[in-house]
Amino acid sequence: MLKANGINKRYGHQIVLQQASLEVKSEIKALIGINGSGKSTFLKIVAGIVEPDEGQVVINERDVSSLPPELRHVGYVPQHPALFKHLTVKDNVLYGLRKEAKVDYMKVVEMLDIKDVLHKRPHELSGGYKSRASLARALVPQPQILLMDEPLTGMDVVLKERILPDFRRVLKELQVPVLYITHDPKEAELLADSYAIIDNGKIHSVNTSIEAFDIIHNSILQAYSC
Amino acid sequence: MNKNIIKIFFIPLFFLLIVFPILALIFNLSVDGIQATMVDPFFWDSVKNTMLAALLAAGMAVVVAVGFAYYHLFHPESLVYKVANLFNDLPIALPHTVAGLALLLAFGRKTFGFLGETGAAFTLFVVILAMFFVSYSLAARTLVSGVDNMEPEVIDVARTLGDNTVQVYFKIVLPLMREAIFSGFVLGFSRSLSEFAAVIMFGGNMPGRTQVLASYVFTKVEVGDLDMAVTAAVFCVALSFLIVSVLSIRRPKYAES
Repeated sequence: MLKANGINKRYGHQIVLQQASLEVKSEIKALIGINGSGKSTFLKIVAGIVEPDEGQVVINERDVSSLPPELRHVGYVPQHPALFKHLTVKDNVLYGLRKEAKVDYMKVVEMLDIKDVLHKRPHELSGGYKSRASLARALVPQPQILLMDEPLTGMDVVLKERILPDFRRVLKELQVPVLYITHDPKEAELLADSYAIIDNGKIHSVNTSIEAFDIIHNSILQAYSC
Repeated sequence: MNKNIIKIFFIPLFFLLIVFPILALIFNLSVDGIQATMVDPFFWDSVKNTMLAALLAAGMAVVVAVGFAYYHLFHPESLVYKVANLFNDLPIALPHTVAGLALLLAFGRKTFGFLGETGAAFTLFVVILAMFFVSYSLAARTLVSGVDNMEPEVIDVARTLGDNTVQVYFKIVLPLMREAIFSGFVLGFSRSLSEFAAVIMFGGNMPGRTQVLASYVFTKVEVGDLDMAVTAAVFCVALSFLIVSVLSIRRPKYAES
């Protein structure tokens, strides 16, 4: 379970996050926001990649605010698959496993249907397989929370609609809490159980993806009418 | 504006100032000069010294540049990085006689007198140091540009998978930068090959001991043996062409990676 409380972040004079708070229980939560709304910054603060100016991050009752990313036990799936090009898909998937850990990684591999490409190098994979491999790599070390930062950016809608239900099935079966960042409420609807929006550096819970879409739509209209 | 303006000034100037001097060297080759140089043991000693010293200097330059690139990537706000960055490009701007004098004073009789009458100076070891001093900046610049071209998410992911910064650097960053490392090495090597002033100030020009190809050519010109000087110079040109060719073959791969 994730609890982020009162996160503040500014870059120079620009306020990116202002008392941003969010809770993710045993669920897939979509955080929806327009480009530049600070959603990726928020996720990177949770992962420990970006340092907040203020605020607290608690994962499974453990305050990880001052810990580096490697000690937070989070899984991270970035916008681009960011597979390690010099390693095979198998070595990518096993990268986060420490020697002492005994994990049945094949379960994740089979669930994500990447068994046949394990011996390949990332540049030999299609976009869909790269995303699957990236997700597998984050899931195999059994993270306490999975952070996904618009992992299907640039993928066509048809492929997204095929891949997202697969992702949802896998994530539900592995029962891993997920914070899924997106600017697309439809994408959120295909994957998430609950929704929140990020607007003007603040995070608000919403009940449906349609509600999120309306708020974001109005926010864009307001921004352009100023 | 005349659309041929670039052609009009580029082509003649390029050929006059770059290609023509090289051709002048080649056309001045003589059979006697080649024969005399090929049997001169000091020529082969200078080739051996040059290759050995340049290889080791380029290797050292890459090793130190790997350290600098680490600070550039993970600790750009640190004092170590800021000071190193300040000094990094100094050897490029500094007259190499000044570099040679600085090295001589740093490693000479006053500080390293226990090694002998002249300290560490005038040995092949200091020839390597002089070459390192002038080639390091190129290697560092190349590695830093390799680091800057990396996808930052790759590093972020590796860190969330349990690696600290040093582990990420050795397991992910350096393997992905192998083309930049190779280019840094070759550039450092070629810069070392061409170094003259710092080498002669610090290492001297002792045939068979500290003489390198550049100082061999200088000596032959100084004693009036132009035919041998030309032969050694053409040998240097051929070596440089080889290096440039290796770089141009590898560069597209670097761009792809």
